[in-house]
Amino acid sequence: MSGPALKLTAYLGERDRAGGAILADALVDCLARRRVAASIVLRGAEGFGPAKVLRTDRLLTLSDDLPVVVVAVDAPERITAALGDVAALGGDGLLTLERARWAGLGERPEHGLDAPGEEAKLTLWLERGARAGRSAGDVAAVEVLRRHGVDGATVLLGVDGTLAGERRRARLRGGNSGVPRLVLAVGAGECLAAASADLAALLGPVPATLERVRVCRRDGAALAAPREIPATDAAGLGLWQKLTVFAGVHDRVDGAPLHETLVRTLRRRGAAGATTLRGTWGYHGDHAPHGDRLLALRRRVPAMTVVVDTPERTRCWFALAERVTAERGLVTSEIVPAARIAAGGHTAGGLRLAARVG
Amino acid sequence: MTTIAWVGVAMLGGLGAVGRLVLDAAVSSRTGGLFPWGTLAVNLSGTAVLGVLAGAALGGDARVVAATGFLGSFTTFSTWMLESQRLGEEGDVRRLWLNLALALLLGLVAVELGRLIGEAL
Repeated sequence: MSGPALKLTAYLGERDRAGGAILADALVDCLARRRVAASIVLRGAEGFGPAKVLRTDRLLTLSDDLPVVVVAVDAPERITAALGDVAALGGDGLLTLERARWAGLGERPEHGLDAPGEEAKLTLWLERGARAGRSAGDVAAVEVLRRHGVDGATVLLGVDGTLAGERRRARLRGGNSGVPRLVLAVGAGECLAAASADLAALLGPVPATLERVRVCRRDGAALAAPREIPATDAAGLGLWQKLTVFAGVHDRVDGAPLHETLVRTLRRRGAAGATTLRGTWGYHGDHAPHGDRLLALRRRVPAMTVVVDTPERTRCWFALAERVTAERGLVTSEIVPAARIAAGGHTAGGLRLAARVG
Repeated sequence: MTTIAWVGVAMLGGLGAVGRLVLDAAVSSRTGGLFPWGTLAVNLSGTAVLGVLAGAALGGDARVVAATGFLGSFTTFSTWMLESQRLGEEGDVRRLWLNLALALLLGLVAVELGRLIGEAL
């Protein structure tokens, strides 16, 4: 697959409903009906939305409506077509649209990015059962990415979604080997381009997308600030920014888990929402790939916290992200050209793509 | 045990579960998601009430209905253990031990205070 793509992301609550159905489920129904090439439902570990109610799987009482993130990617026309159905579902939550393109893994192995020196996010859409020789596909992919000096990679396990336009829902029984799983890597364009040739050889022609990203911090080193962008484009369409903080669940700051500190402070300072997703395997910076080990009492999986907000407020949240990642963690920023927040009958923003900035 | 006691255990058991949910949620939403204060509040308050019942020497069916039915579903050992294990998982050993120690020590204090109050009734 090659050419431009569009990525739709929905940040919802696990128990949000649309009509009689569960919203996340109804959303994947829409995507499957439109035969969207790749989509995934990810269960969050911690977070809050516009209602400011904290949800965390750390405490039993606060774990009854955890965040859910649905990500879908396909050609812009197909996503736009599905978007009509998705918007008609109603319900609360945050919807974002981001420009991406198919990385053409395995089709053009020498494929590079727009400009040398640019940084990117590579997303590999694997099946849970994907293999690379004798090892698991995701673990082998992370190893390749690390070998090529990519700044970080995180494996996220899906519970539902579509691959090749077909519904892939995890069931309580059965191997679930066809259910989607993501490998999300951020780093320098050259490193990703070099890695993609090896990844293609390893995994075959799996769907993969590339997005523009800026790596802001890596293990305490300040590399760049998020791009300074105006609040709207020339036509007056709102622009948004997304910050992502990658660190292990075992990474701590001020005596508390890093991600918990970040989410707690964001909520106290009045952010509209934040979501923490736990991965199953991955690394960032110079750390070796890590995940849970059999019979170990402590978890060592990677996790990522995502916050989407206006450019002005993103500056505040970046200052906060800088503080919690003073020693460890990877911080990236992205431009989000369309976002719509719906809460309690009120909506802000919209789903028309703002013009490309810069 | 009489049929009425059985029915009473079932009804007050339901009520205790609802009470626990309400108190735990109220405390947890105020204290944030890091330390299980909600579960501690539920267990300590339930323990104190059981102390009162013991002190007042409540007997017969009333005791079974109130202690086993209501408090049995109001307080929770399993959640206390689960949340302690979660703290350990995240490597928060200090909070893990704090959660275990606070519940044990304050629990004994609560039951003793409750018993004194119950005896004075």
